[in-house]
Amino acid sequence: MATSARKRVVVSRAFLPPLASAVFLLLLVAIGSLLYGAGPVSPAEALAVLAGGGTDEARFVLMELRLPRTIIGMVTGLALGLAGALLQSMTRNPLAEPGLLGVSAGSGFAVALAILLGATTATLTTLVAQLGALAGCALVIAATRVQGLGNDPVRLVLAGATLSGLLMALTSMLMLVDQRAADEIRFWITGSIAGKPLDMLGATLPSIILALVMIVMVARPLAAMALGEKAAVGLGHHPGRIRLLITLSVALLVGSATALAGPLIFVGLVVPFIARALAGPDIRRTLWLCAPIGPIILLAADIVSRLIAAPAEMPLGVVTALVGAPILLAIVRAGRMPSL
Amino acid sequence: MTLPDKRTTITNIALFVVMLAAITASLAIGTLQLTPTEVALALAGQADPMTDLVVNQLRLDRTLAGLLTGAALAMAGCLMQTLARNRLATPGIIGIDNAATAFAVASVVGIGVSLAPSTMALTGAAVATALAFGLAGAKGTRGYRFIVAGIGIGAIAGSATQVLLSRVAIDTANAAYPWTVGSLNARSDQSVLVLAVGLGIGYLALMGISRALNTLQFSDPVAIALGTRLRSTRVLGLGLSVLLTGLAVSVCGPVGLIALLAPELARTLCRPGKVPLTASALAGATFMVTADLLGRTLFSPLEVPVGIITAIIGSPYLLWILLRPSQRSPT
Amino acid sequence: MSPTKTSTLAADAITLAHRRFIVAENLSVALPPGRVTAIVGPNGCGKSTLLNGLARIHTPAQGSVLLDGKDIHTLPSREVARKLALLPQDNTAPEGLTVGDLVRFGRQPHQGWMKQWSREDQRAYDEAMTAADMEQLADRALDTLSGGQRQRAWIAMAVAQQTPLLLLDEPTSALDLGHQIEVFELIRELSAQGKTIAMVVHDLPSACRYSDHMVAMKAGEIIREGAPAEIVSPELVEQLYGVHCELTHDPATGSPLLINVRRASAR
Repeated sequence: MATSARKRVVVSRAFLPPLASAVFLLLLVAIGSLLYGAGPVSPAEALAVLAGGGTDEARFVLMELRLPRTIIGMVTGLALGLAGALLQSMTRNPLAEPGLLGVSAGSGFAVALAILLGATTATLTTLVAQLGALAGCALVIAATRVQGLGNDPVRLVLAGATLSGLLMALTSMLMLVDQRAADEIRFWITGSIAGKPLDMLGATLPSIILALVMIVMVARPLAAMALGEKAAVGLGHHPGRIRLLITLSVALLVGSATALAGPLIFVGLVVPFIARALAGPDIRRTLWLCAPIGPIILLAADIVSRLIAAPAEMPLGVVTALVGAPILLAIVRAGRMPSL
Repeated sequence: MTLPDKRTTITNIALFVVMLAAITASLAIGTLQLTPTEVALALAGQADPMTDLVVNQLRLDRTLAGLLTGAALAMAGCLMQTLARNRLATPGIIGIDNAATAFAVASVVGIGVSLAPSTMALTGAAVATALAFGLAGAKGTRGYRFIVAGIGIGAIAGSATQVLLSRVAIDTANAAYPWTVGSLNARSDQSVLVLAVGLGIGYLALMGISRALNTLQFSDPVAIALGTRLRSTRVLGLGLSVLLTGLAVSVCGPVGLIALLAPELARTLCRPGKVPLTASALAGATFMVTADLLGRTLFSPLEVPVGIITAIIGSPYLLWILLRPSQRSPT
Repeated sequence: MSPTKTSTLAADAITLAHRRFIVAENLSVALPPGRVTAIVGPNGCGKSTLLNGLARIHTPAQGSVLLDGKDIHTLPSREVARKLALLPQDNTAPEGLTVGDLVRFGRQPHQGWMKQWSREDQRAYDEAMTAADMEQLADRALDTLSGGQRQRAWIAMAVAQQTPLLLLDEPTSALDLGHQIEVFELIRELSAQGKTIAMVVHDLPSACRYSDHMVAMKAGEIIREGAPAEIVSPELVEQLYGVHCELTHDPATGSPLLINVRRASAR
């Protein structure tokens, strides 16, 4: 007992340094994202622009291309990281990731459908993506309520993979119908934050803020849910209401992220995994840490995607898959599946 | 085992008859509608040139490819399920299909590799299996780690395929696309031939180790106590599963879920306690030919790749297996 | 249905380890031929590991297990399976498997590429079914049987192997009293027919009652070995399980009985 109490104190004392260093690291990565790119502007030229000088061309590349891309990357990373942490905490399953569980695929299918039907405006796409994510999310929650499944992380992930497969097959169907739409969808489903207009960001920002507000509201009851549903009721919380709020915020977050960047797999797995390792089991601290770590991971992956195959770009979704799959394996290899 | 087993024999005969019906339908139905009699005449070489061309040149080849790929995928699935002692552990779920596809696409798209797709697909399948094995901690094929490792590998391979496709001209990508979701349209005669040979060898080898495979349905100690050489049986079984999957993928791409559905049906129909390899192969061939027929005719003239059909039909069933309240967890 | 040949099984200075964790070091034990040996000890003392080591399921890190004087791991697995049968603890069977199917599996070590189901196989099968009193249940699926019947079916499979040696890992662990007796009496009958039997038994009184030879283990070491009546004493019980007890004898069978069992630290 004494040791565990002492450990808890150490964790809470050790909480601020990781948070501060994560924020600092985020700053570095954001600057890196402005400096490095596949285009003809060198880091030195980019630095000159940041210092207030630089050529017009460099200024254009930086301000019109890389800056929006960096901002969109940060928002996407934030949204996916938080969504992953929420979903994992609520399902008590360390593998519950929006991408793996088919939430992103649901969102992606909805957008593909919208593209096929001719949707072009950012607001409409975002709304459709969020509806798709909501449907996917509701399915996941319903699935975890099935008796026996909640305690079986792998089965849930398999179900998610199957659902993803089904939705991708349906998306492929859509792509067969219309060649023009097919090209657009194919570009979009690999996942990328390149060349996305900033008005897309404007369309998603309100829902992300709404989601953040809801997260603040449910953070404490959610932490209590970690003790089990009955314990949470005993502490005066309402599990049903918490679940509803979480479902909504995950749907808003994943839908926004998908509208911005396409379905990105594994980000929602990697980010909370790192955050939990640093912050310990309390979901509130995990969420705090996810906020900077999500953008860090996404921007870092994006920088890699620009540089690894320069002058061409590797799709971001591929990079996140390449980074995330080993983490998935690491979680599973860590012996006993950690329960949440 | 070896007692005359009436139930399995009857099942195999029945599945064979159903398969013949599916073949007939596949040969008869299409833009040119034929009666079974006309098909029979054409096969006997007694039809008019037009019918002869459609049946013997166009449809027969395709149907044959469907039969071979379906049988190979289903047997590989049945085998993998037995080795992993988990009905969900099929090559598709373990990522072998995806990896074989990625490698074969690499050769089709021509990223500096000039091996024939069969060889490349086989290499991909072998690499994925080895990875899944290595990453699962080399503790054998049993347990959930193997499956989760496979999911990760499948995700990586899937993205690799996307990368390859995004790097080539849009026309090439569009041409390669149906095959990457599973289609009988893009087959080469050579890879079908290689598959036929591989399937023959694989089937004979499997019959040879069928008794040992039967004991793998029990826990490891029981299998050992019955004198089964676990390691060699497993290595041989995995090798055959890789061979069958790789060669099938080189013909039809990653047609998912046949490897799950066909053994599932076979196991329901056959007598418990034996690994129903023959019945799986027959059921898989039937599924494949039927799904391809549906894909060709359902939205004609638009042709839906057979992989999409099997995913749309099979996924709900798999979801049902996974999500129904469990008496006994399938994983 | 006596197994005509006899075989000997012994462990020679074996070290058993799970990964790097050493369970037992330098163990030597020989099964007395034609007798029932019970391996007893507290949870985690390594008794099941020892049995699995003897049954070649668990490969020793050092030392060797000798079957008829030869290292068991150098012998072909099928040859071993004709001399040694095992009833493991984890014995799940495929859904819907019938008793007859299960027992027929026991003939696998005797079959070959050319040798299919022979008259001899059928005789061994019939004898095993009779011995385990399973004839009436041949066509029943295993999952429809009671725990005791199911365990008897598994023993029948091991009997059908027609081996001189039979190892059982906690054969009665999940059974109620009636079913326990059912299984133990079957084991005694098999012993009377000349088999050499070793079993891991959780329950000390049952081990006393149904074994001729007892191997008492604690923390990976064999601390006593011998006939139950000779070695079981209040001291041994305290050493093994950390409990005080008094010893008396079953008036009907003469086997040792523990009475007034209480915690050693109780005041």
